[in-house]
Amino acid sequence: MIVTVVIRRGGERGRAERVEFRVPVSGDPTVLDLVSTIQRDHAPDLGYRFSCRVGMCGSCAMLVQGRPRWTCRTRVSLVVRRGRIDLAPLPRLPVVKDLAVDMAPFFETWTSAGGVFRPRDRSAQEFARVTPGDPRRREADAAIECIGCAVCTSACAMAAADPGYAGPAALNRVWTLVNDERDADGAARLAEAAGPGGAFSCRSHGACARHCPKGLDPRRSAAGLRRAAALAALRGRL
Amino acid sequence: MNRLDTDILILGSGGAGLFAALHAKAGAPDASVTVAVKGLLGKSGCTRMVQGGYNVALGPGDSVERHFRDTVEGGAWLNDQELAWKLVETAPKRVRELENDLGCFFDRGPDGGLHRKAFAGQTFDRTVHKGDLTGIEIIGRLAERVWSSGIRRLEDHRAAALLPDASGEALAAVLFIDMRTGAFVLARARAVLLATGGGPTLYRYHTPSGDKSCDGMALALRAGLTLRDMEMVQFHPTGLLAGPGTRMTGTVLEEGLRGSGGWLLTGAGERFMERTDPRAERATRDVISRAMIEEIRAGRGTPNGGLYLKMSHLGPAAVRARFKGMVERCADCGFDLAGGLVEVIPTAHYLMGGVVFAPDGSTALPGLFVAGEDSGGVHGGNRLGGNGVADSTVFGGLAGDRMAAWLRDAPGFRDPDPARLDEARARALAPLRRPGPARLADLRERLSSLMWDKVGVLRDGPGLAAAVAGLAELAGELAETGAGSGDPAFNLAWHEWLNLENLILAGRAIAASALARENSRGAHWRGDFPGAGDLAASRTTEVSVQEGAMRVALRPVAFTRLRPEPEPEGGR
Repeated sequence: MIVTVVIRRGGERGRAERVEFRVPVSGDPTVLDLVSTIQRDHAPDLGYRFSCRVGMCGSCAMLVQGRPRWTCRTRVSLVVRRGRIDLAPLPRLPVVKDLAVDMAPFFETWTSAGGVFRPRDRSAQEFARVTPGDPRRREADAAIECIGCAVCTSACAMAAADPGYAGPAALNRVWTLVNDERDADGAARLAEAAGPGGAFSCRSHGACARHCPKGLDPRRSAAGLRRAAALAALRGRL
Repeated sequence: MNRLDTDILILGSGGAGLFAALHAKAGAPDASVTVAVKGLLGKSGCTRMVQGGYNVALGPGDSVERHFRDTVEGGAWLNDQELAWKLVETAPKRVRELENDLGCFFDRGPDGGLHRKAFAGQTFDRTVHKGDLTGIEIIGRLAERVWSSGIRRLEDHRAAALLPDASGEALAAVLFIDMRTGAFVLARARAVLLATGGGPTLYRYHTPSGDKSCDGMALALRAGLTLRDMEMVQFHPTGLLAGPGTRMTGTVLEEGLRGSGGWLLTGAGERFMERTDPRAERATRDVISRAMIEEIRAGRGTPNGGLYLKMSHLGPAAVRARFKGMVERCADCGFDLAGGLVEVIPTAHYLMGGVVFAPDGSTALPGLFVAGEDSGGVHGGNRLGGNGVADSTVFGGLAGDRMAAWLRDAPGFRDPDPARLDEARARALAPLRRPGPARLADLRERLSSLMWDKVGVLRDGPGLAAAVAGLAELAGELAETGAGSGDPAFNLAWHEWLNLENLILAGRAIAASALARENSRGAHWRGDFPGAGDLAASRTTEVSVQEGAMRVALRPVAFTRLRPEPEPEGGR
């Protein structure tokens, strides 16, 4: 099978153009394999990223047919349409070259939105007793396996509309911390999440949950934050 | 060429690099600390790929002494016992730090205390974990803290050379390529940590991140340092065999599949492990990997040259429930792990060997420190599952502490030897002035086949000698090949050339060390020397580059804490 791959090429400051490659494909490789083949055999100067190859690092995500996906775990047969695949870098992040982006702004938002643990007792010798069935632990567990690939935030219409919005990945992380009894910052974190650009900016479109390759549901985490913030406000704690 | 000065410079952003950065910053708050990484911070590297967990003696009935004995016996008595002791002694402190200071939320047992699971080769259930994604939890928390701690980040920066000062007696600077622009960056630093991770990606089948290319080991060899135990390459039995055209090939299917009753089958559908070991598929990684290669070489493999892993006899629904992540991963590349057969092959997983170092991270070159997979001696001839992430976090933290203290007495910034700087720049630029990026894929293919066939799971003298010659030939061919004259900005062909240069150098160190070890120990198996030799007279290999050639010395192991017991009369 010959697949026509159309790649948006160019750097941040340079002009972007769409370049077409006709690639012979045997078997059912992944989109990452396809991009690797193009770089190796057709365009040695093509820019793209990957690291772990198996869905653990979150560096190979890009727009595949306009939709953010990990390329390492997306098979060509799943996405090819009429023999054609369109590839572009993740939106709203600085393009380093072609399909490779600089993810620093994504993590800066994560950090400034309150996605960093603050220990209650950093030199504690004991481990906090938290039973696996504890409702807050279950909330934290449901959201904790995020690998920071930026797929959800790239898919989010609100993040596209409002550059000040923290976005689903950061809010999802904040929700795990709000449910973490070892964290010292609960109230401040909640206040932050209830403020401008926080959980109340989420419109529950659910694109984040539909796109998350890990099956996480950041929309639910944002809803949890809104509920917890409202409750805290009622009790005069916000 | 851009220039910058930083008191402490850390190469690598896995568990070792990030821990070192945080400890260095805590120990010297006014110092400038910089983390440089070839890819993105926290994403490039293998700590985040850790599935299993973290070995630590915490439970009632367990002890640091017991963890130590398991580590040394697992290491076939070749460990530097002071390093192994430092590992097990510091692990309990480090795991508290991970949980209570950094916020890793490890899994709990029914009583609310830390859950500890059983792991192969250990006499106690001591592996702390977060599901089967322990590494993501650890790196996620470390990276968040680093982002918010005033630590400078140099992402997409490849270290091209370690540069001593003009006296040659101390490290002065690191030469980088800023991959985004292609420009050189000269970073002077008062202390430098090598923590790039090893990563045996020079084998046809391998598990580590594809961007790892033994960079730290190659930098160290070129800087004149000695590496030990380089023949010790750990192979994991169940790598996915998904065909030559996909990067999925070689990625690891977790040990628990065999542990829970999975079968390995020949191409004809017959079990074979029972013939080799009474533990059958539950035998250790090295035993199974050898038996698998023997089956394949005897012509009993699958059409694609592997073997089958079968889980369906345990009930497809049960397999799907228990190994969700693995079932999904296989499905993504077209295999039905729960109900069908998956083709597998042993896959290169970890380099036990690395730079000779002291427990505080220091090396023979003043100003240079090392931690994690770039270092050697902690694990001896074989690493226990769960000791890898313990190693990187324990020794990364200790090196960070030491570098912070080192600043108090260390001299100020020094200039690198101008001749060495010029030479390093010329060497890095050379491939951009020669045509031929199309040949790089062929060179990588030949390197990975050579290492697999001659320096792999089963080795012998003639094969290793052929590998030594073949690697020299590949090095020569690479030197005549270029990466084309393209724009140096984010030029992947250029970086592939530089990766290959490092991998070939590491391969030469592995092959030379393997040829020098004339017995079968740990992960190293010589068909022409199948015995383990006298344990009490154990020796380790030490390799360095002298006048362009690999020189290997054998050095007796110092049993500073534990001695092997004499074999009973008549052997085992």
